[in-house]
Amino acid sequence: MSDHDHSHGHRPPAPMVEEISDFEILEIAVRELAIEKGLFSADDHRRFTEFAESIGPLPAARLVARAWLDPEFKKRALEDGVKASLEVGVNWLDPTGFGTPSDYTDLRVLEDTPTVKHVVVCTLCSCYPRPILGHSPEWYRTPNYRRRVVRWPRQVLSEFGLQLPPEIDVRVEDSNQKCRFMVLPMRPAGTEGWTEDQLAEIVTRDCMIGVALPHPDRKVDDKRPVHPAVNPVHH
Amino acid sequence: MDKADKEKTGEYEEHVRSAKYSVPESWSSPDTTPIGLLEEVKKEGRVWEELAEEYGVANPNPPWKTSLFATMEALSGCSGGLSTYDRRASEDELAETVYQDVPYPERELLALAHTMLRRGLVNEEELAQRMKQVEERLNSA
Amino acid sequence: MTKRSHHAEIATGKGDPQCFSNTTSAPSKFKVGDKVRIKELPDIFYTRTQVYTRGAVGEVAVVTHESPAPEDESWDNTDHSEWFYIVRFRQKDLWPEYPDCYANDTLQTEFSERWLEAVK
Repeated sequence: MSDHDHSHGHRPPAPMVEEISDFEILEIAVRELAIEKGLFSADDHRRFTEFAESIGPLPAARLVARAWLDPEFKKRALEDGVKASLEVGVNWLDPTGFGTPSDYTDLRVLEDTPTVKHVVVCTLCSCYPRPILGHSPEWYRTPNYRRRVVRWPRQVLSEFGLQLPPEIDVRVEDSNQKCRFMVLPMRPAGTEGWTEDQLAEIVTRDCMIGVALPHPDRKVDDKRPVHPAVNPVHH
Repeated sequence: MDKADKEKTGEYEEHVRSAKYSVPESWSSPDTTPIGLLEEVKKEGRVWEELAEEYGVANPNPPWKTSLFATMEALSGCSGGLSTYDRRASEDELAETVYQDVPYPERELLALAHTMLRRGLVNEEELAQRMKQVEERLNSA
Repeated sequence: MTKRSHHAEIATGKGDPQCFSNTTSAPSKFKVGDKVRIKELPDIFYTRTQVYTRGAVGEVAVVTHESPAPEDESWDNTDHSEWFYIVRFRQKDLWPEYPDCYANDTLQTEFSERWLEAVK
């Protein structure tokens, strides 16, 4: 044990928000009342909280990377998304034994080809394959995205920095029922000889929604600030 | 705005109206009349964006976000609760009206509370009371 | 038994929509490649069939699963199941102003059988 190097093990405590906001209070109050009225149990709530804390995009990235490397796995993933999810550690039946009320248990993997680019949306409410891809980003939930990408997909994609030539067909998947979708994008050039881990690192969330293409130099999605509508809808 | 732009806007708005929900005119729209208690929270409450910046906290999400998620999920799974579809339809409407300027996820929380109040799952008085109790409890801890 | 505990009972270990497998009274009416039109059914209360698809003609891309239709399920009426289909449309057939230079752009979305009719 060295006593000459004080930098080891002496990290300053992480900053914390010291005050309690009215929003925090509201969340607690709503939850407590709902439980007292029997709308759901504390147990249910705890189970769903743990679930919410456990999900993220890494398993989906791994599914894509593995599909790129293993043609048999890719076949399995395209045939039965829920079964293939188990191979990357995701059980769509969690946390209730029959899935969540919002996500259901029918994942479909949409394979991009040299001539077809998929992009996923849910115009009606923002359904998203959360068990394997984590929480949906705010922009995905906005009416701005949902209403425009079905009709002006190329314009919306170009706002995300994705310009597609006319030789590539754009296919929008409007996820309006129980099926949930993720995109299996094409493997980019410049990744020859990469391992599954290395490949998974460049498959970001936006690539699996379909608004970005994986790139050997990018491991993080670009920031997507949400702007108020230029032409807001007035009721 | 010239004619071409006006046409584009009109087309856009018409599309946006028709893409909104697939419920007919006869279906009762979610009531977007402001609710006193929630207006207070909206006005006085400090949003996470602000708090995180002030205290230098890197986490983009408030600590109650996952708990809110769980509440929404649990509610949609139960009878007499609030289905995800209904909740999101209300949320869309409320997000464009009463809670327009509130950042997400505070907006989501307010929309949930608003919808639960309008549907009679909880009432304003008991919610206000419970909030007071929670505040006392947290501040004395 | 409450709706919730009944659902838990039939779906645990299987999932939803898997719990509704083999519950339709007839085999699927349509198959992949069939040309279908989206019916203009009256919206009595609740539906998940987007307004922008009504009356449009497309092609069945996938036969997905059996499930109660959302129009029934939202009323907790899960006695009757239908087959569901992902139908693919040419964007040019959905939106009048969609550019001709992107003639192969498509959109696909899912419908329960009651919404589809065969097109010769």
